Amino acid sequence: MKVEQLSDGIFEVIIDDRKILSTHNLYPGHSVYGERLMDVDGVEYRQWDPHRSKLGAMVLKGFEIPIEYDSHVLYLGAASGTTVSHVSDILTDGLVYAVEFSPRTMRDLIKLCDQRPNIIPILADANQPRSYAHIVETVDVIFQDVAQPNQAEIAAINSKYFLEEDGHLMLSIKSRSIDTVASPKKVFKDEVKKLEGDFGVEFEVLQRKELDPFHEDHLGVLARMFVEDEA
Amino acid sequence: MKAVTWFGTLKLSENGDVEECYLLEKDTEQLAQHMLLAVENEELPTHGLDLRELALACGFVELDEDYDVLLREICIKAAKRQISMTDTDDKRIIQAVEAMDDVDKAANELSERLTEWYGVYFPELELTAESMARFVARFGSRENVPEDHNMFSKASSSMGAELSLVDEDLLRNFATNLCGIYDTRKNLEQYIMANMGAVAPNLTNIAGAPLGARLISLAGGLKKLAAFPSSTVQVIGANNALFKHLRSRAPSPKHGVIFNHPFIKGAPWWQRGKIARALAAKISLAVRMDAYGGKLDPSIKVNLERKVESIRKAHPEPPKKQSTKVTQPGPGRAGGRPAKKRGGQKKGGMNKGSKNTDDRSGGRPA
Repeated sequence: MKVEQLSDGIFEVIIDDRKILSTHNLYPGHSVYGERLMDVDGVEYRQWDPHRSKLGAMVLKGFEIPIEYDSHVLYLGAASGTTVSHVSDILTDGLVYAVEFSPRTMRDLIKLCDQRPNIIPILADANQPRSYAHIVETVDVIFQDVAQPNQAEIAAINSKYFLEEDGHLMLSIKSRSIDTVASPKKVFKDEVKKLEGDFGVEFEVLQRKELDPFHEDHLGVLARMFVEDEA
Repeated sequence: MKAVTWFGTLKLSENGDVEECYLLEKDTEQLAQHMLLAVENEELPTHGLDLRELALACGFVELDEDYDVLLREICIKAAKRQISMTDTDDKRIIQAVEAMDDVDKAANELSERLTEWYGVYFPELELTAESMARFVARFGSRENVPEDHNMFSKASSSMGAELSLVDEDLLRNFATNLCGIYDTRKNLEQYIMANMGAVAPNLTNIAGAPLGARLISLAGGLKKLAAFPSSTVQVIGANNALFKHLRSRAPSPKHGVIFNHPFIKGAPWWQRGKIARALAAKISLAVRMDAYGGKLDPSIKVNLERKVESIRKAHPEPPKKQSTKVTQPGPGRAGGRPAKKRGGQKKGGMNKGSKNTDDRSGGRPA
């Protein structure tokens, strides 16, 4: 078994010519959602299923992942914590603020938080960044995976509040949540355009790719927030 | 500028420096309570702050790690408290409605099995579903049916196979469990009947407890249902038909689950769409009163009845067809729909639409 590092904390374990996306398990011996655990030279790796995680799919689609060992990440739409657990694996010296609106999925997320010291759960509506402005500090990266019709707006207002100058935004846009009927290509185009200028924050889109075959009708976007020019 | 943060209230100068700070005590219970109450506070930061820097600057914590550990502990506490407060009355109704669906599914499956299985030993028994389960649970083998029972003659002359003791035990146990499931269903039904009046008095008054509960369940909560426009209320539960309408030429659905209301169910097909609209409008009105603390207002129901009556009077006869095509009047058809709206009648879209008319009132139980 061999291990290749793709970026900070993200690895590919190679078994019989098969490459398996994985992260270092921060809580060894425990699997979060039934994923495979692999031991390589005494270090435990946790398989990362790109079909269940937009971020995982973005890694395999060749996105430059801006999350580093010591990043502070704001994660919007944490759900029951499948992806958050891998972000937590990566952030050995960092912190992730996990915002989720549904009390039902928050129940599962809290169980995860109890096991891992670097996840901070927040039960709040990502549409209202002000309702958690007294909790969340300025962060390096925002990752967003919410199934809402105003995904670009949510990303923009949260960036305005919490993203540091030059910080990165990673966004997964689900076209079916915006318009079930229109063609995804058109929805993506409109949504990215909205993101780039409609909400008083400007972004430079660095990468954009559809996330198929892992997720149908989803677009991954990596953007950097522009620093406002004072002069 | 004053800003409330999770560790205290800060007074900041124009360029973001701390002028004064009122720190809270490092008591996790109190901090969690403060964190929850602060959401209502007018003085929440209007833009993002580097809270970590500020906390260090004020001396609330001395090390980065202390900040992480404390904040994490408090956030988990606060979130747990929020979760424990989410069990509201309408959520309980939703659980009951969904449990009822599950129970129905299970009961159907098990009773089919029982019919198949017991049929081998007593094919003449013409009972179905619950009455059959009760019969098997009570007697087991047909040899145990007493002389004064109305099945006695059938039981004694049955062509069914012999039932061994072991099999009889097994079957009887199976039937007893099934009876328990039927009992559970009754309990759930009673629970919904008894509680809907308190959760949503106006909705229950107009739609009845079962339909009202179903609407709340499909919407995901009383407040959510209240936020829906009444055109959505009209077609909740007809999802397949609605999306088909949006995607292709299929006609729009006239009603979703509200079809189960006697006003619509009992109306002739040409009045149903109109009554569905009126009913949905009044349901919206009623739900909004319920969701925002209103008391029972009987006038909504009176107005609805008046409106429905006027629809009946205005449209006593089925409309004349403009199209020469013979259409079967029925709940699934858009009767009297002007033919001109269908540009491509001879093309695929139209045929597709008429083949699958059953889907149009998708919320109606089979």
